[in-house]
Amino acid sequence: MRRQAWRVAALVWLCLAGARWHGTLAQARDAFTVREVAPGVFVHFGRMLALDVPGHDDIANIGFIVGSKCVAVIDTGGSSSVGRALRAAIARRTRVPVCYVVNTHVHVDHVLGNIAFKPDRPRFVGHVRLAAAMLRSRAFFLRQYAGDLDQPPSADQLIAPDTPVERELELDLGDRRLRLRAWPIAHTDCDLTVLDEQSGTLWTGDLLFRERLPALDGSASGWLSVIGELGQWNVRRTVPGHGALTGDLGAALSAERRYLLALIDGVRAELERGASMQQAIQRVATAEEPNWLLWDSTHPRNVARLYQQMEWQSDPTN
Amino acid sequence: MRRRLIATVSNGKGAIIMLRRLLSPRLARSPRRPPVMRHPIRVATALLPLLLYGGPSPAIDEAQTPASGAWEYLRQQFYGTRAIGVLDESFMSLEVAANTPDPAATPLNVRFGAAAIGHIRQVRVIIDNNPSPVVSTFEFARGARVAEIGLRVRVDRFTSVRAIAETTDGTLEMRSSWVNASGGCSAPPSAAEGGQLGEIRFRAAGNARSLQVGIRHPNNSGFQIDPVSGEAIAPHFVSHIRLSTAGRTLIDGDTGISLSENPTLRIVSDQALPAPLTVDVIDSKDGHFSASWQGLAAGHAATARATGALGDP
Repeated sequence: MRRQAWRVAALVWLCLAGARWHGTLAQARDAFTVREVAPGVFVHFGRMLALDVPGHDDIANIGFIVGSKCVAVIDTGGSSSVGRALRAAIARRTRVPVCYVVNTHVHVDHVLGNIAFKPDRPRFVGHVRLAAAMLRSRAFFLRQYAGDLDQPPSADQLIAPDTPVERELELDLGDRRLRLRAWPIAHTDCDLTVLDEQSGTLWTGDLLFRERLPALDGSASGWLSVIGELGQWNVRRTVPGHGALTGDLGAALSAERRYLLALIDGVRAELERGASMQQAIQRVATAEEPNWLLWDSTHPRNVARLYQQMEWQSDPTN
Repeated sequence: MRRRLIATVSNGKGAIIMLRRLLSPRLARSPRRPPVMRHPIRVATALLPLLLYGGPSPAIDEAQTPASGAWEYLRQQFYGTRAIGVLDESFMSLEVAANTPDPAATPLNVRFGAAAIGHIRQVRVIIDNNPSPVVSTFEFARGARVAEIGLRVRVDRFTSVRAIAETTDGTLEMRSSWVNASGGCSAPPSAAEGGQLGEIRFRAAGNARSLQVGIRHPNNSGFQIDPVSGEAIAPHFVSHIRLSTAGRTLIDGDTGISLSENPTLRIVSDQALPAPLTVDVIDSKDGHFSASWQGLAAGHAATARATGALGDP
């Protein structure tokens, strides 16, 4: 009976703690902050959380760029409510209309807020492969992230691009031009970067992760070559998909490059010695662990994915 | 005492307790306390903050549901009322990550200890909450010295995963584990799609004691949707895998849609594996694929050929 009483007490405590937690989150949402990192360039920095915990809809760096005639939104967050918070933040800063909503890739934390901008009737802009990628993810989003959509969740809340970028596209915001670049398969198969020439600000989407471990959903070797090319770019500041703003793009890319190289080399070595996927997960690139956040929720998936890709590549072993 | 067995069922009450124990592997391992109440409460309290938050929690609802129906039925069908031992990890163990790195290709190992090697007749893997719970049933040749058998499986939602082995003297052993995952059976083809249907690749470990057999095959579950057309992709899966050497069957398995895309079978022995080792695969459209592993390169060939680790009584 005494044990029973403890259980009840624990339950009550957890209820209260849960309610407080919920309250804190609600406050965080009210205090949705954007930082003006350059004149007319506003960033809301996402939180370092896994994708399956409360607050997971606010983990990506999202924001907007203001021209004299148009605002371009760059990524919209992982829920309709984060999207609306971003829209409200824009309205507090400017009366210039939102003409463009740009998505840097298909992942849930970057696209689910699109629905919030539907009333603005913007052009939705993305990689030429983004629409297909969203179609592929539709069932997964509706099942796994239903709670992040407006209720009841429905497929028409998932807004795909109407303006595809095959390789490059310029958006004119009025006295301000954005240069969009669609990349070959890297982090995903639909990565897109946005460069604001006026301020020298590059938005990499998830081609650049800082602090948070990069998640591989495309091709590790493809990602490395994109990193190689981005590393040549001369920009004043970079807004990564996750993590802090940086003035040193090259250094930020080299940390990511180091991890991806360790991942590729590690998986190749494990395959060559006939190791199982579990053994690979335990051994590959473990020296990198201290350098990154959210290792446990991302690294095993990266290894599993790369292992499955590489085991069918042509190679000399057996 | 190599194993402790749950008491044989002799009356109705015993059957209920046993079933409950079987439903929940954690309970079965701590028989001192009354098993029925502990687990659901623990799950409920652990998940409460998430429930209060009201965010997306597809796996959580299912955690409340006992993962029972499928196993109750299958147990009856395959094993009747025979006792099933569940305790001694040194005899047999099941390795599967509680949080899968990939719901569509969750690696899973059944490992046998020294006392079990050479004394296993059959291993069956069951995923309670999958649309097709029976993943595979592998029969081992008499005396086959299998130390480990590894698969990659689809996990559709929060579930118990179990491996049940039958020994050559007719006793049963089960190990089970919880796996949290979502959507493994309906995930669209992705990680390493395409290739030549039926291509078979071998990866041996340096001492020839382990061999991973990879089969290039979509293993379409029938629950996948073509994202572009919106139509269901028809099931097309590997239904049978056989390993043999010198015309003698060593391992013979029935498989199904719960195996991942590009199914793999990993065999580990406590001795060098015999070579050449032939793999024969049959799929649900009566496709036949076959390949032989010729052993390790010249330097290691002697070791590979020296002993018939699998199958010699």
